[in-house]
Parts: sequence; structure tokens; C-alpha cells
Amino acid sequence: MQALFRSMLLLLACLTGLGIRAQEITFQATVDKNSAATGEPIKLTLTLTNAPMGSGITPPDMGGLVIVQGPFDQNSFSMVNGRTSSSVMRTYYVQGVQPGDYTIGAATARVGGGTIQSAPIKIHLVKGESSGANSSLLNQAQKSDPNLFCTIALSKSKAYVGEQIIVTYTLYSRYNSLQPGDYDLPKLDGFWAEEIDLGETTWEKVPQTINGLRYNTAVIKKQVLFPQRPGKLRIAPMTLNYRVNVGFFNNGTPVTITSNAAEVTALDLPPGKPADFIGAVGDLKMDVKAPTTEVKANEAIDLTIRFNGRANLKLIDAPKLGFPSDFESYDPKITDKISVNGSGMSGSREFQYLIIPRHEGAYTVGPITFSYFDPSTAQYRSLSSAALEFNIGKGDGTANAPAGPARSEVKQLHQDIRYIRSGDLQLEPKGHHLFGSWYYLAGMSIPPAAFLLFLFMYRRRQLQLADTGGMRRKGADRIARQRLKAAADALGRNDREGFYSALGKALEGYFADKFNLGVTEVNSTMVHERLGHLEGGALAKQYAELLHDCGTARFAPIENKPRQQSYDEAASLIHRIEEQL
Amino acid sequence: MITRHLLHLLLFITLHPAQAQPEQLVLRAQDAYAKGAYDEALAMYDSLGQDLGSASLYFNIGNCHMKLGDVPMAILNYERAIRLQPGSEDIQANLDLARTQVVDRVNQLPAFTLGSVWDRVRGGKDVDQWARRSLWACALLFAFAIAFVLVRQRTAKRLLLAAAALCAVTTVAAIVLAAYRVSEVTDRSQAIIMMPKVDVLAEPRTGATTVFVLHEGTKVSVLQEHNGWYEVKLSSGSVGWAAPASLVII
Repeated sequence: MQALFRSMLLLLACLTGLGIRAQEITFQATVDKNSAATGEPIKLTLTLTNAPMGSGITPPDMGGLVIVQGPFDQNSFSMVNGRTSSSVMRTYYVQGVQPGDYTIGAATARVGGGTIQSAPIKIHLVKGESSGANSSLLNQAQKSDPNLFCTIALSKSKAYVGEQIIVTYTLYSRYNSLQPGDYDLPKLDGFWAEEIDLGETTWEKVPQTINGLRYNTAVIKKQVLFPQRPGKLRIAPMTLNYRVNVGFFNNGTPVTITSNAAEVTALDLPPGKPADFIGAVGDLKMDVKAPTTEVKANEAIDLTIRFNGRANLKLIDAPKLGFPSDFESYDPKITDKISVNGSGMSGSREFQYLIIPRHEGAYTVGPITFSYFDPSTAQYRSLSSAALEFNIGKGDGTANAPAGPARSEVKQLHQDIRYIRSGDLQLEPKGHHLFGSWYYLAGMSIPPAAFLLFLFMYRRRQLQLADTGGMRRKGADRIARQRLKAAADALGRNDREGFYSALGKALEGYFADKFNLGVTEVNSTMVHERLGHLEGGALAKQYAELLHDCGTARFAPIENKPRQQSYDEAASLIHRIEEQL
Repeated sequence: MITRHLLHLLLFITLHPAQAQPEQLVLRAQDAYAKGAYDEALAMYDSLGQDLGSASLYFNIGNCHMKLGDVPMAILNYERAIRLQPGSEDIQANLDLARTQVVDRVNQLPAFTLGSVWDRVRGGKDVDQWARRSLWACALLFAFAIAFVLVRQRTAKRLLLAAAALCAVTTVAAIVLAAYRVSEVTDRSQAIIMMPKVDVLAEPRTGATTVFVLHEGTKVSVLQEHNGWYEVKLSSGSVGWAAPASLVII
């Protein structure tokens, strides 16, 4: 029996030994929250895993924080599929008095011969809400009934919309026995309330002395209130019914007490709300995480946005993220780790977005921005993450996507006016129109005027063409006058020789030109030959005679007829030839 | 050196906006608009618009007002633009978008089925389109008439006669259309409400009974003017008097 037990122990030792060699030794320090209120306990856990027997943990330097509870040790040992793991967890509860930034130093673990250190942890403390009733309120309440009274105390009487206020309903009693009856809790109008779980109502261990009288006190109820609208918000008095001095034979005396009414001045949030402000008030940090930024099309990505801090976390809606239109996104899953306790609402709210890129390509999401209102400085603060760059590879098609590219309508994302016209704006003087202007009237009247002019000219020409004889006569006259111009000049000058010379030349020239001859060819025979058929040969005879007379009179002063007559005869001859040929 | 040039340029813009060449001003306004300096662009376009006008200029002015959030001024300028260039797609798109921000829904006349075709036929590129066409048709008509007189061949004569007749019809039609366009463009019977809220009264004096209330951006018909007051009519038939400066004629 003992041998068997010993062999089993040996086996266990061997297994343990193997396990330790196989598993890594780690030492970690963690806290349940990095941001807390003063007076709010923070849980610090030091975890040493897979350390061999005989290891020890040295607590870290708390950096100004005070240990309120602990240490508590917890050992665990597990064996899964032949692999063993062991861990030692040491837990402390620490809290701070002053707001500010604290650092919990590195904790040291002694393992074997060496030591392992954990990473230091940064803690941010904000001012917690003090929720006790002030003395004036107590004095007031004490006057109404010095033996039994209750108060409604606010952590602050002025708060911004959405800022946390802690309201405490406290009972003060000098009676030894008190039996609760009906109660009437005030209705809250204009607040969003979150109950603080106090467990069972019990008397405080230490009695409180007010103006020399000792009271047992009990917190009946505690709430975190968030004003929902600006203005004066009133919390109506609460009414409690008790029976006092209840004894074995005594039914007791009924007492009804009414608390004070509380009033909160809710301040409206200052103007200049950032566009991405969705009502978060408090002190927040944002953490954006995407496990991977390189996936194939149609594969899902989990994008996580975590808000962490002390604020109206439960009222934070999912921030609207501008996903590219090629991303399919679903409503985010909300995971809350929110604690509501005496110092208000704190913790974290996490939005987990499932997004499925449908097409390959490089996409940018964000930068994701979020704004909250910080009531301690009365300012809006912006949180911003780095832009997330997603590289979406080509989908392998085996996912739930149909074969070939998924075709979809081009989505109209926003509507805006069309862009201005550029280049030549075709500017014209104002009120200038072509129609009705002088240019227009001129332009309209020119074609008909031109047509009429054309018609007139055309008709005249037609008429002239119809009257051929008239035409020729007119032409013959002109030609005769032209030919005899020099002769006419000489006639005027009374130059005999010049006159006959010119007349002779004119008659010769005319005849030569008319019949396309050389001047030397012009003689009496030629004249008869060419003009013999006109006027029965009389014209030819007269022409030849006149030509001969001119030749004679040119060199000798023999004139058969006066010069004027010769001239007229020559003109008449040319005229007649022109007419008849 | 460059900064000094820039300084000169700046001074030039600020001190002599009207004296700058229109083409340069157009380019500068275009740059300002592209950079998002809509008020600067508007100032430059407005200085151009003092003496000059065109559908494109009104369109750009409307865009500036729209970007600066002045919806009634934007509508006024888009209306002026579309009147000069009916059937223009971009003007209509912006006008429709601007109208979605108008409170009153009184003047949504049912769309005329042939509307866009008719717009294109009568509007086209500019107001003078039909006047120019009538000039061409007239010139062509008489050219054909001259050819008709000169040509002897019978078939050619017939063809020319037909062509001349066609031109005659075209000329008359073009003159009618040109006259219609000018009357349309110079029409002063429509206006846009400019004030956020206008009480339209029964009589043209302050204190008269309010007949109905109009809001900025609404288009109304103007029947007459009396001492600066305008008698306005809605497409529903309601008539009343609007105070001076409450509206601007398109």
C-alpha cells in the first residue's frame, strides 16, 4: 500500500518535472482597471506560472497607493493532455487618496536561482465623488425630528448634462428598535439612474455624532444619476414609515419621516460640440484594434473599439464609422465591463464590428475619432485613432461569394451640388439681346434689299438684251466718238494737217481693228471687199473716198468739203458699220 | 521678390476687382472656389456680374451662395441661369438640390412631358440662338430666290422653290421663337422670397391682415408693384402683398 503511494508520488513528481521543463515560466502583474476614482479599490494581481516549488514573490512598490486588503494567495494546478501547468496568484486591493497618475513598480519573483520582474503599471486616479451629507443639511434634517430622520445627499449640486452624480439616501436613528414599514421613494424626472448595489441594508459600524447626539446611520439606497436635460432638476423628498419602540408587548409607535428635497442644477453642455460628439461625459480613453489588416475578400475582420474610463459608459452609442462602401458591416456587438459603485460608473464598453470586405484593394478606415466632454475642465476632448489601412487580397472564391466579381449598383453616398463651370463663361453685356437690336434689323433687311436690287438690275439687263438694235447703235456711237476723238480735238484747234492725219488714222485704225487687219493692208480694194455688201456698195464707196480725201488733204491744202462735214461723215460711216456688222 | 509680386496681386484683387480683365477674374475666382474660399470667389463673380451676365456666371454665383449656405440667393441665381439656358442638366440638378431646402412646397408644377425636348429646342446654348438662326434662314431664303431667278432648268427651279419655301417657314418660326425667348428672358413676373419668413398681407401696408406666410427660397409670381410692395400670386391661386425687400425679381 505504502509502496504504491510512493510510486504514484514519484510518477507525479516526474510528470510535474516534465511539465515544468516543457512550460515557460511567466510572471505578470495585472490590474482590473487603469483608471479609477480616489477611494475606489483597484485589484492588483501578480501571477506566477509554472514556477518550481520554493519560489517567492516580493510585492512591488505601490508608488503612493495604499494596500487596503490582501495579499490573498491562490494556487492552481492543472493537467491537460499530459501537460501540467501551475500558477500562483497573489491579489492586493489598493486605493489612492489624491487624484493623479501613479505607477505601480515592478514586482519581483524569485525563481530557482534567478529573479523575474513584471512590467510596471500606470494608474490614473480621478477625483472620486464624496457622497456624505453636509452639516447644514444634517442640521436642517435634525430639526424636523431629532430622533429619526433621513437625508438625500448629492455628491454635487451642479453638474453638466450626462455627468455623474451620486445620490445617497441615508437614515439617521436614535431609536434602539426600528421596524420598517411602507416607504415612498422619490420618482426621478430628468435623470437616468443607475442603482449601486449595496447588498443588504445594515447599520454602519460606527455611530455618527451630530450636534452632540449619537445616531446610528444606514445607507438605504445609493444611485448614480445622469442629468438628461439642462435646467433645475428636482428630486422629490422620500417618505419612510417606521414603527419605533417595538417591544414584545408593544406594537410600537408609527413614525413617518420625510427627507429633504434635493435639487440639481444641470448645466447644458457648452457650445462648440464636435461633430462626433454623441453624449459621452466623463474621462475616457479609446482603444481601436483590428487583429489583422490583410485578409482576402469576403473574409471577416473583427474591428474592436474599446472605451475605457469613468463616464456614462452605458449611454455611449456605437460610433458611426465611415466604412468604405465596398465593406459590408454589421451592427456592432457590445461588451460591457462596467461597474457601478460608490464612486460612480466606470469600466469599459467595447464595440466589436464585424466587417467583410467584398472586393480586393487597399482601403482606409478612419482615423476613427470620438469626442467626449470632460466636466472637470468643462472642455470637449477628442480621441483619435490612427487610420487603419486594410489590404484586401483577391478572394479565393471558395468563401460564400458567388463566382466572378460581385456586381452591384454604384451607391450614391452623398449629395452635393455640381461643380462650377470653368473656362469661357460666355460673358455678355447684361440685357443685350441680338433680337431687336440694330444689328438684327440690318441683318434681316439686307437679304431682301439685296434681292430687290438684284431683281431690278436683272430686269433692266433683260430689257436691254431684248432690244439688240438699240444696244448696237449705242455701242457704235460710242466707238465712233472714241475713234474720232483726236480728230475732234484737231478740228477744235483748227489744225488742218493734224485734223486730216487724225481722221485718216481713225478711219484706217477702225477698219483694221474691225476686220482684224494690219494698218498697211487698209486700202480701197480691201474696203470694197469687206464693206461692199453693205448699203449696195454705197458705204464702201463713201468710206474709200473719205479715206482718200484724208490722204490727199493731209499733204496738200486741197479740201473737197469743209472739215466739219468730213468729220460728221466719218462718224456717220463708223456708226453705220457698227450698226450693220 | 515673389512675395512682393503676390502682395501686388493681392492689392490688385482687393482694390480693383472691377478693373481686372474679366478672363483673369474668372480664372482667379475659379481658383478661389477650388480652394474652398467661396466668399472670395463670390466677390469676384459678383464684380463680374455687375455689367456682364451669362448662364454659366449665374450658375457659378449660385454655387458660391449654396456653399456659403445662402439657399435663397443660390436659388435666385440658379433660376436666372436656367432661364438663360433652359434644359441645362447641371443647373437643373443644383436647382433641384437647392429647392429641397425650401420650406414651402407651393410651386411644384407638374413636369411637362415634352419639357426637356422643348427646353432644348427653345433654349439651346444662349438667348440669341434663334435670332441668329432667323438671320441665316432669311439670308438663305433670298439666296435661293436669286438662284431661282437665274436658273433656267425646270427641275432645278422646282427644287429651289421648295428650298426657298422651307427657308421662309424656318425664318418665320425662328423670328417667333427669338421673340418668345427674349420676352421670356426679359420677363420680370417671377421672384424669389429672400427673407426667412415673410407675412403676405391682404393690403400693401404694414398692419394689414396676414393672408399667408412664405419662407425663403420660394418662387412666386409678381402681379404688380405699388410703393415698393409687390402683389404676389402662388400657383395655388392665393394672392397677397409682400413687403418691400422681401423678395427679388428673377
